Amino acid sequence: MVEQVNSFAIKTKNVSVHYGNKMAIDDVTINFTKNDVTSLIGPSGCGKSTFLRCLNRMNDVIDSCKVQGEFLLNGVTDIYGDSIQVETLREKIGMVFQKPNPFPKSIFENVAYGPKIHGLASTQSELNDIVMESLNRAGLYEEVKDRMDDIATGLSGGQQQRLCIARAIAIRPEIILMDEPCSALDPIATARIEELINELKENYTIIIVTHSMSQASRISQRTAFFHLGKLIEHGDTSKIFTKPDKEQTNDYITGRFG
Amino acid sequence: MENTHTDKNFEQKLKQLQDDLIKMSEIVEKQIEIAVNVIKTKDSQDAQLTQNLDEQVDVAERDVRDLSFEIMTLHRPVASDLRLVFTALKVSKELERMGDHSRNLAKRAISISSSFDDELIEQMYSLGRNVQSMVNQVLDSFFKKDELKAKTSWNQDAEIDKEYKSLLKNLIERMHNKETSVVDEGTKPILIAKSLERIGDHATNIAEEVIFNITGHYIDLKKSDFE
Repeated sequence: MVEQVNSFAIKTKNVSVHYGNKMAIDDVTINFTKNDVTSLIGPSGCGKSTFLRCLNRMNDVIDSCKVQGEFLLNGVTDIYGDSIQVETLREKIGMVFQKPNPFPKSIFENVAYGPKIHGLASTQSELNDIVMESLNRAGLYEEVKDRMDDIATGLSGGQQQRLCIARAIAIRPEIILMDEPCSALDPIATARIEELINELKENYTIIIVTHSMSQASRISQRTAFFHLGKLIEHGDTSKIFTKPDKEQTNDYITGRFG
Repeated sequence: MENTHTDKNFEQKLKQLQDDLIKMSEIVEKQIEIAVNVIKTKDSQDAQLTQNLDEQVDVAERDVRDLSFEIMTLHRPVASDLRLVFTALKVSKELERMGDHSRNLAKRAISISSSFDDELIEQMYSLGRNVQSMVNQVLDSFFKKDELKAKTSWNQDAEIDKEYKSLLKNLIERMHNKETSVVDEGTKPILIAKSLERIGDHATNIAEEVIFNITGHYIDLKKSDFE
């Protein structure tokens, strides 16, 4: 099969990450197909979150963290190069964290903040539209439309996480990184987020770190298994969960070590 | 050695599933052995025993199915565990069919006419013994996860088929030559031979499942070059 440069949202090659002398990622090469959900799985400390955070340079703020290797956005833009500012990069690659972290502001302000500072709206009406559309896409609008000025921290955990997703998509990213977005949520809120992820993949590329094997199998088209900083196997989720090529993958997903 | 499961309860149930299958296969192997012997002995008590064992086989099949459902519902197996559960379901079905054929052939064997000569009986018995050996090999390959053994036993089916066709030819010739008093009497050995041949086919199916269970891949065995 001929690989289309443009079919990958992010291409990475020979990625290694060190925290001081400690190696966290060891020579990982992986490409992320556009409009796919890719799950990164593996035991704690395997490097999956570190790797995820490399994709939008979240590790830059950690002094001891040294990132090496090639990271290309849409096959051309060097994520760590001079041609793109970190702020611009994060417009394109948004992130949702494990714990919902709304600003201590109103629901409206939480979503409007990004578009405002990135200058995505020139009038109040445009800003209103972006906020409404983002909340809609995050499946939250109907629940909050009558209380947009209420403080966001008053929402339930699941609603807060959907608000964070709305906040991430308000700046019109191409890629959304999610670091265990459902680990603090109950099964109903989790199901709602998973449904949302499935809808969002129509417009975005999603890369998600999850500890839940069943979540990875439910929501992602591709799964990557990390262990001790190495990428052990990456492939179609259906294949990984029925007949993985590597014994280590089989052992991990069947619960034989962890 | 295989790594142990972090979920001990799950591991215990997977072991139980294999134990249930071992138990079931032991009953079916015994059934086949007795049925094949009945070809020679025409012992009606033994024929009845295959009938009684068949009831045990049916219960064992239900046990395997119930436990498989329980494992799938409560533990949501994936990868090699998932393949094992599906293989267990399919193998138990094949075993159950083998049991049915054994029961039927034993029932027919006791009513075979005494006018048949030893050569014919010996030919049927030999086919039975070979089928029995194939079944034993293929089940062994399943429990020992021995891919090569599964392939070897798969290959035995060609020999079984050859033997079956030769026996069939012999019987048809006898019917043409009116060596059998009535056609009905002549068809009994044909049906016995057919049951044996079908047991061989079920064993072949098991061999294919064993290979899938071990490797996760379907193998086009016709193209493989093992002997």
